[in-house]
Amino acid sequence: MTRNKLFFLKLVVFILLAIGLNVCLNKVYDHWMYYFRLARYQDKQFEAYPDTLKYLMLGNSHNRVNPEVFGHSFSYMTPKEVYTQTYYKLKYILEKTNKRPENIFLSIDPVNFSPRAEYDLTFDGYWRKYLNYPELAREFNDPEYLLNWVTGNFFSYVGNYKFVYMSVIFRKVDLQQIKNGYVPPRNYKNFAKEPNRDALGFEIATAYLSTYARKSKIGEAKYYCKILALCRQYKINLILLRMPMTDEYLKFARKMVDLDKLDQEILDLTQKHFSDFRVFDYRNYFKGKPEYFFNADHTNPIGAMIISNKIREELEK
Amino acid sequence: MLFNSIGYLFFLPATVFLYYLLPYRWRWLLLLAASYFFYLIWRVEFVLVLISATLVSYYAALKMGQIPDKKQRLKYLVLSIAINIGMLVFLKYLGFFTEIVNQIAGITGSNCVIPYFSILLPIGISFYTFQTIGYTIDVYRGVIKPEKNIGIYALFVSFFPLVLAGPIERGRRLIPQFHVKHDFDPQLFTSGLRLILWGMFKKLVIADRLSIFVQPVFNEPNYFHGIEIGFAIILKMMLVYADFSGYTDIAIGSARLMGFKLSPNFNRPFSAQSIAAFWSRWHISLTSWLRDYVYFSLPFKYHGKTVNWRINLNLLITFVLVGFWHGPYWNFIIFGFLHGAYMVLANISKPILSNLTRISGLIKTPGLLKGLNISATFLLVCSTGFFFGQHPLHDSILMMGNLTDFSQTGKSILFLLKNNDFLLGVVMIFFMLWFEYLIAVKSFASRFLSKPITIRYSAYLFMLFFLLAFGVFSSQKFFYFQF
Repeated sequence: MTRNKLFFLKLVVFILLAIGLNVCLNKVYDHWMYYFRLARYQDKQFEAYPDTLKYLMLGNSHNRVNPEVFGHSFSYMTPKEVYTQTYYKLKYILEKTNKRPENIFLSIDPVNFSPRAEYDLTFDGYWRKYLNYPELAREFNDPEYLLNWVTGNFFSYVGNYKFVYMSVIFRKVDLQQIKNGYVPPRNYKNFAKEPNRDALGFEIATAYLSTYARKSKIGEAKYYCKILALCRQYKINLILLRMPMTDEYLKFARKMVDLDKLDQEILDLTQKHFSDFRVFDYRNYFKGKPEYFFNADHTNPIGAMIISNKIREELEK
Repeated sequence: MLFNSIGYLFFLPATVFLYYLLPYRWRWLLLLAASYFFYLIWRVEFVLVLISATLVSYYAALKMGQIPDKKQRLKYLVLSIAINIGMLVFLKYLGFFTEIVNQIAGITGSNCVIPYFSILLPIGISFYTFQTIGYTIDVYRGVIKPEKNIGIYALFVSFFPLVLAGPIERGRRLIPQFHVKHDFDPQLFTSGLRLILWGMFKKLVIADRLSIFVQPVFNEPNYFHGIEIGFAIILKMMLVYADFSGYTDIAIGSARLMGFKLSPNFNRPFSAQSIAAFWSRWHISLTSWLRDYVYFSLPFKYHGKTVNWRINLNLLITFVLVGFWHGPYWNFIIFGFLHGAYMVLANISKPILSNLTRISGLIKTPGLLKGLNISATFLLVCSTGFFFGQHPLHDSILMMGNLTDFSQTGKSILFLLKNNDFLLGVVMIFFMLWFEYLIAVKSFASRFLSKPITIRYSAYLFMLFFLLAFGVFSSQKFFYFQF
């Protein structure tokens, strides 16, 4: 065998080994990743949910409204969820299950409307069940969505060491704590005790809002409008929600985007597509109270419970 | 196209495959087409500047090749340099000079305000401009003969592994390689793959991870103090090193896949024992270019004698140019000036320092002396890190002020220890420095290559999957693309 042939044979063996190892890692990650396990457990609970669905909480981890406070409700929030994903999940619920929510809760925080928000899909390993990636690629004229499909199916662990670490830490997580889809907020640290809250507020605000580039203009919001259209089509009431944020987060958020102007733009856009909706604004509800937060932009269990009860009171008025 | 993009993952194998598939006489054409495609992906308009730089230097060199008299050749050299530098100044530095003129006008109370034109900077312009100028100077000096095949010359300027951020190649080293048939060489090919893997590791696992911690400090220095700033500065220099040397490794590795050998750009700069040694190990292709074409062209004599003050002045001029080459910002000028000033100080204090070394007895403990020199050089290099970037100058000064505020050190330590990206980044830096030390000093590569195939494959696979799991895959641009 010539030197070159031998080399190519070795190269093929190496590539096959790499593919085999990748398949194993992807399977293990897909099976054990903490968020995948939570989200799939939510899926199972939702499939088995026998009750009428008065309130359905959708969106990202900011939406910590506890369905148990309301009764006949289900929380389907997942971390880092964007409207594109919410739309496909709601569409799936409405078209492929027999469940029809009467009301949906949807958070309308600045992060949901940042110019890149609709494009930033994460956790494709889970979302591949719901999303139609070729349709998205066509809609946005962006082949990167096909890459999301490839990542979700074959490389879901790539770049995700933090979730590997998290999955190891929470390997014994008690999924039974999830009631009606509600994943209790994390509680292993308290924002009030953080040594440099300014730096953390800045870090989170920058990570999620820097794409506004000091403009107050909302992003494309195409899928937000599609969610509104679905709600209109299926006669679902809409409850929009601004969850509390820490002072440190808001200080930097205001530097990156004119929040008042943005809020108004969101309301104008909503009114254009939907006539009857309610807005609960608790953004500044915990002003000067960092002890109700887990981190700069997430309430802790106590904070989340206070807000949930507050919303219930408002709804009962 | 970025080296760390999915596009490149398809582009490179396809180009390499076609390269070996094609008969030798067509290969340069394939590489030229691939290189222009690679560059065109950024923006079509950028290609016009690349073509202009290529044509101007090609014809100037060709003309110079036809004229035996050096003095006669000079006008073509001046013309070529003027046009190429003119394009560079117009596209990169016009805004900077406009601002200075307007500021002076403001101070003197003049109403004359020059309108500011916002021009998009063609990527890689600083690199290929210097490459073309180096080539024309070499032709002028008679070091090389002009390349007659315009296609080959265009390939020399636009060769895709180096068009975006170097290494700044010399014509005498690279052009002959385009005239040689490269047969497939498994050893060179695998060494190329190893370099690409290592470059990707440095970029995705180290540089992009460090940037998560470093960028916020540089963006909002108000909110960071004491050791947070100190670490951010040190890590910034490490970030730039991991980023740029990672880029260079990928560039050199990509070229090796096709049998080309590019110049090294880094040689463990943080093990340098002086600032001068640092610059002989950091961005070598730029510093050697400036040494050969600028520093040695400056006058060293005064009244017929070589004088020290001229040497030092030339050093300062050259290093201010090094700084200014990076970008039209006062920050970079100060960065270059500081490096030049450190070298001048080292020259001036050389006799005092050697006496001090002798008197203190350090000369008898060379290991300790070496360690002290390396540490001092590292700290001096880091001290210039405040100015290395496009952030406003007042932010650099603010950071220097905040560095001395240790009132919140306890909180800062807790903040750093809670930052996963910071911790992982620091561990990876040590790994990078240690690994590069093994390769350079302990001949790790040859010992590793003599290991059984199972061990080698396991190591490659470990590195590959470590990179995949711990890398940051957000297609961040390479730091030096801004230059």
